[in-house]
Amino acid sequence: MTSPEEIRRRIEGALPGAEVQVADTTGAGDHFEVRVRASEFAGKTLIEQHQMIYRALGTLMPEIHALSLRTAAP
Amino acid sequence: MTDVLDDIAREVKENKVIVYMKGTPAFPMCGFSAATVAVLKEIGVPFKAVDVLAEPEKRDAIKSFSSWPTIPQVYAGGKFVGGCDIVRELHARGELAPLLRAAAER
Repeated sequence: MTSPEEIRRRIEGALPGAEVQVADTTGAGDHFEVRVRASEFAGKTLIEQHQMIYRALGTLMPEIHALSLRTAAP
Repeated sequence: MTDVLDDIAREVKENKVIVYMKGTPAFPMCGFSAATVAVLKEIGVPFKAVDVLAEPEKRDAIKSFSSWPTIPQVYAGGKFVGGCDIVRELHARGELAPLLRAAAER
């Protein structure tokens, strides 16, 4: 089981200054909705932006059953 | 794994629009796969669907193929388009239909 705080910590660790919102959509710790606004996304494609988040989550990814992701540059 | 990756590379090249999903377009086995197929059907381009539950050797292989950890995955014109969230976002921006139609007509 993964906590929303752990997800937030990993993303903020990889993208300092990012604005991160994490919702545990079922309360079971394996379905999440994540919104990230980060200056690092500027000039990147959506694929690249999402890959940055997947990389930040790293070892958490196999534990997360469903992840809905929205990313944007400020 | 190498053989499976070769199979995937060939499929992605030979099919103008292809989705790797859980279940089939008629019976999707995952909400994200269902949502992705719904968008493809709405746009109305012909597409091939590969059910990774029926072809389990592709379930992990497709993730390393594009360094993308989730399924579904959509490819058009031999290039990775995105997963469910990106497909929906591109569609909302009106960018997906032209991209898929250009690939389908090539």
